[in-house]
Amino acid sequence: MRSLASIAVLVLAVGLLPLFVSSGVTLGFVTMVLYATLLGQAWNILGGFGGQFSFGHAVFFGTGAYAMAVLQMRFGLNAWAALPCAIALGGVAGTLLGALSFRYGLRGSYFALVTLAFAEVFRILANTFDFTGAGVGLQLPLQEGAAQLQFATETGYLYLALALATVSLLFAWWLKHSRYGAWLAAVRDNEDSAAALGVNAFRVKLVAITVSGALMAAGGAFYVQKFHYIDPHLAYGAPISVEALLSAIIGGMGTVFGPLLGAVVLHGLGELTRNSLSSTPGASLVIYGALLVLIIMFMPRGIAGLFEGKR
Amino acid sequence: MTQRRQFLMNTAALAATAALPLGARAQGAPAIKVGVLHPVTGALAYSGNLSRLGAQIALDEINAAGGIKSMGGVKLAALLGDAQSKPEVGVAEVEKMNEQGASAIVGSYASAICLATTQAAAKYNIPHVVDVGVADQIVTRGLKNTFRFGPGYKITTEAAINNLHIMNTVARKPAKTVMIIHEESLFGTGTANLLASQLPGMGYEVKEIVKHANPTRDFNNIVLKMKSINPDIVIPANYYNEYALLLRTMKQQNVTPKAVFSVLGGAASSFKFVKEFADAANGVIDVNHWYNPKDKRAQALRKKVEAMPGQFYTYEVFLNYQCMYLLADAIERAKSSKREDIINALASSTWDKHFMPYGPTKFVNGQNTGAAPLTLQVLKGDIKVILPNTFAETEPVFPWKV
Repeated sequence: MRSLASIAVLVLAVGLLPLFVSSGVTLGFVTMVLYATLLGQAWNILGGFGGQFSFGHAVFFGTGAYAMAVLQMRFGLNAWAALPCAIALGGVAGTLLGALSFRYGLRGSYFALVTLAFAEVFRILANTFDFTGAGVGLQLPLQEGAAQLQFATETGYLYLALALATVSLLFAWWLKHSRYGAWLAAVRDNEDSAAALGVNAFRVKLVAITVSGALMAAGGAFYVQKFHYIDPHLAYGAPISVEALLSAIIGGMGTVFGPLLGAVVLHGLGELTRNSLSSTPGASLVIYGALLVLIIMFMPRGIAGLFEGKR
Repeated sequence: MTQRRQFLMNTAALAATAALPLGARAQGAPAIKVGVLHPVTGALAYSGNLSRLGAQIALDEINAAGGIKSMGGVKLAALLGDAQSKPEVGVAEVEKMNEQGASAIVGSYASAICLATTQAAAKYNIPHVVDVGVADQIVTRGLKNTFRFGPGYKITTEAAINNLHIMNTVARKPAKTVMIIHEESLFGTGTANLLASQLPGMGYEVKEIVKHANPTRDFNNIVLKMKSINPDIVIPANYYNEYALLLRTMKQQNVTPKAVFSVLGGAASSFKFVKEFADAANGVIDVNHWYNPKDKRAQALRKKVEAMPGQFYTYEVFLNYQCMYLLADAIERAKSSKREDIINALASSTWDKHFMPYGPTKFVNGQNTGAAPLTLQVLKGDIKVILPNTFAETEPVFPWKV
């Protein structure tokens, strides 16, 4: 229950933030942290709780992003209607990818590589077809207004990111406390033993990748609404997959708040190093990388592992 | 354990030292803050750094010449931003510049980043001078704060097609077939689409369109295909590395079309390419951002940049240099550092003290309507303007004779 209370406090604190803070930088920072939390949690559900390491979560992100843009631009759907469709399509992509790879017993590095391959295939497809704008990408028309899910101020995006991140946190909390979560953990720890105890490992993993895909797609949809532009590299490129797994790994895999902590630290470090060394290009990235190495060296269980160790 | 602690202490000390210059920079006389926003790290770092260089040279010159005279010599101060080659980081930088009190922003090189940063700047009514960003969507969204000094994509491609046709007609139409090789993103695909749709109408047969990924490190198969198709004109639309590699491979495989003709070619209008791969570059024609070669100020800047170790005089440098002067002129006339005043001054700008072949500036919906590219050809180890005749330094060599 403590986790649930913490989520409530987080929602309350972030929800009230715009009343006390008007700085676009701060609100933008919090928005991007919540967005990174969503991506990290999406990866964490499959990789952290389920033990299925994916190197290609961009496949779901891109599906959500393109679905959001295509449904609005090609089919004239309102953004509010397109959002659940994009999330659902991300889930469907997860189900299909999971069904294909888990059916053939792909695990560990093989699963990681197949996800990477899927992301690359989708990137090439998006680069080829006209309805995704091919290499030119898609630019969402600028129509500011809550009815179009485009906001003139950062506050609107902050609340949207908060809502999506909260859903992901609540699902992670439910995983920690539900029977399904126990099955997933059992599959992660020893799939053969779990199967011997009657757990349908295939189905359990399939549900995890479906939810993971849906949440990642929500991240893609959010990206399109906020930045109004998507192209194959932005949607299906490796940086998105890395961002998702990095937040979860740095923060603590298989924990409810790990991706949030990871997102705070990663974005915080990114901002800090970029702001302090703006006149020396690249120096910020060197320090950023060095600090990441330090975190991984001294906190192999992630930041959340520090708190667990003190209990 | 002691070693670990020592290591952590040393790292913390290093980080603290690195953060010092920011504090030091913050102390200074009141100046008009100008955001200089480019992708100086990441995939676009080379172009981003050249862009920053151009803006900084101009800023230093403006300050050395007495700053903004109509405001009693107030200096311009650069707020340096790094978009890290990502639109979302560009937006975060705009937010930061807004809070630091930027009166205007110059940047941010790539179209995808410009789309995001101009929009973010529009939220705070920050005037945003677009330095390069050729995508036409940048100036068609009705953003009042956005001003593009250089030509957009459509103008450039249309000029390219017209000039190609003129050269071919004057030479009694030796070229009839075309092969387009383009990179897969917005720039390459967009160029290829426009060319493929317009060239057939002018009597050219587009024999093949080949798309390649970024990066591509082997063009042997593409050039083999080129050999079998034997097009009269090869049109590359890709970034520097791929462009250079493609031409080198063509040289190695002895493929010599009647012309290599590019639009905003990654390497064709680069002195770096001409210097490093003189053989491969010779004869290449490109339609690109270029200065008026007859203007002494452009040549003076070239000398200045080339005197700097490891620097080349590229379009990134001189476009940013000019954009900073364009902004300074607007501030000078506005006599104000207020964003709204600068936007109004830019919108009514008739600035003609530049060395680009544009004439006085006139912005319609944020686009400088006089902006146009020049057609260039690499000849005898130098880049020469061949069209239009007003700016031409020499006659085009077309078809190219090996």
